[in-house]
Amino acid sequence: MTPYQICEENESLNRRRIRSRSIGLAVLAVLLLVGVSGCAGGAVQTTSWTGLTVVEDKLYVADLQQVVVLNADDAEVVWSFPGSEEEGGGMWLSQEELAKSTRGAVFYVAPAVGDGYVIVASQAPSTSMLGQPRNIIWGLNPETGRWWHFDDARGQYIEGGAIGGGLFVIGNSDNNVYALDVESGLLKWVFETGHRVWATPLIVSDTVYIGSMDHHLYALELESGRVKWDFQAAGAFAGTPALGDGTLYVGAFDDQFYAIDAGTGSERWRFKGQNWFWGSPVVHDGVVYAADVAGVVYALDAKTGAEVWRQAVESPVRAGLALAENGSQLFVGSQDGTLRALATADGFVMWSRESDGQVLSTPVVDEGILYELLLYSSQRLRALHVENGRDVWVYPPVVEEE
Amino acid sequence: MFNFLAYPMANVMLLFYNYLGNSTVAAIAALTLLINLLVLPLNLSQQRQARQMQDMQPKLQKLQKKYANDKERLAQEQMKLYQEVGINPLGGCLPLLIQLPIWFGLINAIRYCIPSTPLDLFQFSQHIYKWLPGVVGLVPLQSTFLGMDLGLPPNPVQWWSYSLPILVFATSWLQQKLLTPPTPTDDQSQTAMMNRQMQIMMPLMMIFFTLQYSTGLSIYFIISSVIRVAQHYLVRQGNDKQNDKSNS
Repeated sequence: MTPYQICEENESLNRRRIRSRSIGLAVLAVLLLVGVSGCAGGAVQTTSWTGLTVVEDKLYVADLQQVVVLNADDAEVVWSFPGSEEEGGGMWLSQEELAKSTRGAVFYVAPAVGDGYVIVASQAPSTSMLGQPRNIIWGLNPETGRWWHFDDARGQYIEGGAIGGGLFVIGNSDNNVYALDVESGLLKWVFETGHRVWATPLIVSDTVYIGSMDHHLYALELESGRVKWDFQAAGAFAGTPALGDGTLYVGAFDDQFYAIDAGTGSERWRFKGQNWFWGSPVVHDGVVYAADVAGVVYALDAKTGAEVWRQAVESPVRAGLALAENGSQLFVGSQDGTLRALATADGFVMWSRESDGQVLSTPVVDEGILYELLLYSSQRLRALHVENGRDVWVYPPVVEEE
Repeated sequence: MFNFLAYPMANVMLLFYNYLGNSTVAAIAALTLLINLLVLPLNLSQQRQARQMQDMQPKLQKLQKKYANDKERLAQEQMKLYQEVGINPLGGCLPLLIQLPIWFGLINAIRYCIPSTPLDLFQFSQHIYKWLPGVVGLVPLQSTFLGMDLGLPPNPVQWWSYSLPILVFATSWLQQKLLTPPTPTDDQSQTAMMNRQMQIMMPLMMIFFTLQYSTGLSIYFIISSVIRVAQHYLVRQGNDKQNDKSNS
């Protein structure tokens, strides 16, 4: 090899090294950015909390990778969707079809149960690099094996829908409220709001009450989706209203808690909290209970809005509240993973249960048992005794090591 | 990780949103201007270096001719020249490194103000500076602009949203071309090659970011690049006037 050839070879080697160095620098920057923003990794990133519905001794749980139906007594799996033949899944579509439609899908939204159907929503990642995630609602009839799906919505479903008058109504991040026929899944009407709809609707008789991030609470005709009235606040609505004596109780992101006439939409009173009201309130015996994101639980006179008591739980509260069946206890889940039982009389903390996760989903009380969903924990669901907070069971069950 | 930057940025964005007619794009534009104002001294020094680099091109070319057959010596002489003039030859990479934390912060700030997932929104709910006038109740900001959702990445349903990454690429390429110290095409030194690579790698990287993240970030990139280009011409005009004065 001549000195000239050696020089040429060195130069070409040098060029390759520089090129790979600059590409390396750019790739490093990209990886850093992707990693820092929390998008790294092949696994589905958790972007929301999960939901739970309890109907007739059965628990319908959105369990991230699937919707699972459990016996309330012992957490035994009755069926799941999508699921293997062994788990009672696969009765809806062929395994091949199912795998295609639900590959990588996540289930966050609390299932709606009614009219013989279990209605769930999934979000599956895009199948192409530049495509969009697929947001699908599945209507499943466990008795007949009939099923339908609806995939017209362009945004993610954040909270569950409600069933009433043969319709399933749900809000979507594409700003729309969708009403589908429960039996066929056919679209009956769409109502467009000015922003994302992340609240579960409340259906009472022929009216749908639903809040939107556009600062409005809408009362819509169930049959047609036409607006009966709308109420405007200074912040977004993301919680489901509670109804008591013709009054809707709901909080907003303007730190205000509102009492609104359910018939006319006029404001009856408002109460100022310390931060956003997100989770749904409960109303019992002339008192309305609500918690704000600052972690303060309020008991307010339902007629006047006067404060009865307040209790700080020292951790942000996103979830809605749950009430014991006899009305003596109020259950509050918070971001630090603690579930507290407060006396409805004075807000005194009667017991609390800690966990290694976060409690961001609204707990459910049924027949003396409290069911709580955990996020970022190996235990997804716990059943606790209402009186003392002791475990009835946990799901998935703890496997004893030999 | 970069929330120490993201939270203040998000709150400043809320403040701008409140005072600029509840327009998310105007708030992002105002935030972009503010950020560029804060990094102005750095940008000006970088542009000054670019100018110096341009001025020393004849000397560099002379060296290349002189040491055409001795690459090692050429590199040494070039480095000596850079040191004499006080220039950092890796000037092309410096803006990227300095801007990275700002991007990280801004990506998160946009995610918090125009959230597409509830966990982001919940996290930010505890970091809003309520003492700022008019910020209570603003989040989530209005996310629709020209039919696009500013909180989501470009997508086929809003096909016109892909125009933003294209604009990002074009403005970023122009910015790189104007601000990277020019090097002769036959300059094969490591520095020159690195700078040439960065001229294309940076816009490509930008296009990757804009396809992955919310379109709100594209607005920042485009406005930011336009500001830098305008800055470049203003600095050049100023220098030309100064040169004219000193010549006369």
